[in-house]
Amino acid sequence: MIPDLANLIVFFCLLPLCTALLSVTVVNNRWASRIVGLLGLTTTFTTAVVCLTQLAPTGHIAVTQLGGWSAPYGITLVMDSFSALLIAAASAVALGAYVHSFSTLDPRVERRYFHPLIHMLIFGVNLSFLTGDLFNLFVAFEIMLMSSYALLCLGASDQQLRHAYKYVLLNILASTIFLMTAGMTYGMLGTLNLADMARIVAENQAAGKDMPAGFTALGVMFLFVFGLKGAFFPLWFWLPDTYWTLPIAISGLFGGLLTKVGVYAIARTFPLIFAQAPPTGIEPSDMRVLIMTLIAASAAFTMFLAVLGAVSQHHVRRILSIHVISQVGYMVFGIAVMTGQALAGCAFYMVQHMVVKCSLFLCCGLMEKHAGTDDLDKLGSLLKRDLGLGVLFFVAAMSLVGLPPLSGFFGKMVIIQSGWDQGLWWLAILGLLTGALTLLSMLKIWSYGFWNPGPAPTAEPAETVRSGNRAAYIGTGMLVGLALFLGFCAPVVYEAAFTAGRQLYNPTDYVQAVLGEQQLENIKWRDTITAPVDPPQTDPSLALRSEP
Amino acid sequence: MTLVTAICVAVTAAVSIYLLLSRELKGIAMGTFLIGHAANLSILAMSGEPVYTNEQGETTLKLPPILGYGEDPANPLATMVDPLPQALILTAIVISFGVMGFLLALIVATGRVTGSLDLDEFDDDPKGLHPEDAEHIEQNDSEAASS
Repeated sequence: MIPDLANLIVFFCLLPLCTALLSVTVVNNRWASRIVGLLGLTTTFTTAVVCLTQLAPTGHIAVTQLGGWSAPYGITLVMDSFSALLIAAASAVALGAYVHSFSTLDPRVERRYFHPLIHMLIFGVNLSFLTGDLFNLFVAFEIMLMSSYALLCLGASDQQLRHAYKYVLLNILASTIFLMTAGMTYGMLGTLNLADMARIVAENQAAGKDMPAGFTALGVMFLFVFGLKGAFFPLWFWLPDTYWTLPIAISGLFGGLLTKVGVYAIARTFPLIFAQAPPTGIEPSDMRVLIMTLIAASAAFTMFLAVLGAVSQHHVRRILSIHVISQVGYMVFGIAVMTGQALAGCAFYMVQHMVVKCSLFLCCGLMEKHAGTDDLDKLGSLLKRDLGLGVLFFVAAMSLVGLPPLSGFFGKMVIIQSGWDQGLWWLAILGLLTGALTLLSMLKIWSYGFWNPGPAPTAEPAETVRSGNRAAYIGTGMLVGLALFLGFCAPVVYEAAFTAGRQLYNPTDYVQAVLGEQQLENIKWRDTITAPVDPPQTDPSLALRSEP
Repeated sequence: MTLVTAICVAVTAAVSIYLLLSRELKGIAMGTFLIGHAANLSILAMSGEPVYTNEQGETTLKLPPILGYGEDPANPLATMVDPLPQALILTAIVISFGVMGFLLALIVATGRVTGSLDLDEFDDDPKGLHPEDAEHIEQNDSEAASS
């Protein structure tokens, strides 16, 4: 049992920081830094799972006010079951990719500070999952991005550098806009704490007032910033070009983690602040309508156009990279529906996508080891050569597609169903169509790579590959096993996801946990208004809005 | 004063975006440096008017936010500057230094690999490291491994 979860939250940030510093000191000793990393990541994973088992059934939210400064003034770290789920998934993905890198990463690259950079990346990711205010979200993003820039350029081939610029410059630009927008938010509301902002919006809505006009612009700017990090529809073009040039363990890690942080930021801030559902009986504000429309349109284009792009590609890495975008579209779909159920589906889908996508990238690395290339024209008969890899790939690919007993199905089903129920039938149909096209492109890899006789593989004999890459097989196997667990034990994980969805949809608990009880006297949340309201007050928003 | 800051932000941002769109890597680096300044200035503008008018109608600059400094204890915010945006800017400056350092290192590496600082002259086919650099790195690595 854990006496006090609140003190444990800092652990998720401190541990990666400590392992990063430790592995800097042993950077020339490969095995020492590997052991430090393995220990660190396993501990993070188990602690996150333990926290999840404590938080999910009770719906409790653990809060740490750093330095004892109370909420709107100090730095707040918050852990609810959504954060706990994502931290567990992130550290599992990092663990799998890390083990995979033991046998596939060029030793020269590994000695160039690969280990510390991975830990700093995890530090940034964990901090952005935990932080309770906008400015620290910016700081966490920067920590994560700086390490990803450095990982991107490890090895420094011509191609890698060329595509690194696209990623680096776009992200610097997005970070700058994020910084400006955070500053404007502070200028407008006088606070950067997410819960405090939620309180202000809720008070405004309960009083029937609209937020100031500039607030909508802030919402759209945040959508732009997080959308660029998450590779949404018009802002995705950096992604496929960047991911396919990297060493495979690193692209697996990036494909699993980085875009999900942008999606997380949207799922956290938008239901809480910019698209907060109004209390029953009050019309949604223009801002909410505009932002929800933007999110829904972005989800549609992201899902569908990206999957079309993936179908047209003929290199395994490129297909997988572009699929990352398409699946980000599903998550945005979940946010666009914005009911408790859809957000729960989104949470589940994020977790399973992180695991499955990373394992597919790792499988792709092993396919390259066999054939020396990821061009589908030059691959073939891998199933005969390596049955184990075939099984791993098939399970992961079908999880991605969402075949019923496997994990992708449960997330997609909930999201599409709740979208249909909420009247977003066009998004639901697009989602189904996207699923079919995903199946098509996965079957393309399967049939060209594994099934067809194809040209004879040239690289190394199968036995050499298998014995030389044992760690890679173990890493991939771990992630595929986790994906199977997520599929066959879906109800267990769904319990946590439902708690997460409920908390995201109805942020009363979140605000209460962060700000404390006394701040909440004036707020009327939609769930607290249950009694029928007097007839003249049924539509106070309209009356007030027509005043001036 | 706010207007002056706003104009400064606009000009800095415009210049930096012009530089960011150039093909020359040095220009891009300068552009990222400047756009960080534009962001910091805009946050500074968010902290409110830096001058205040007292009862006698005199206009003076606001005081540093230190306890006991405020002339009007009932309403200290009228006479003190808001410290939080400055703390934010301090953090943001440190981060932009880090990004800038990385970008300059990246540009040096690119110059070595491709022999040029013009993005248009990047080759489409991968060449890998420049042979001399590869040798140099190899040597360093073997020294590190043996020590």
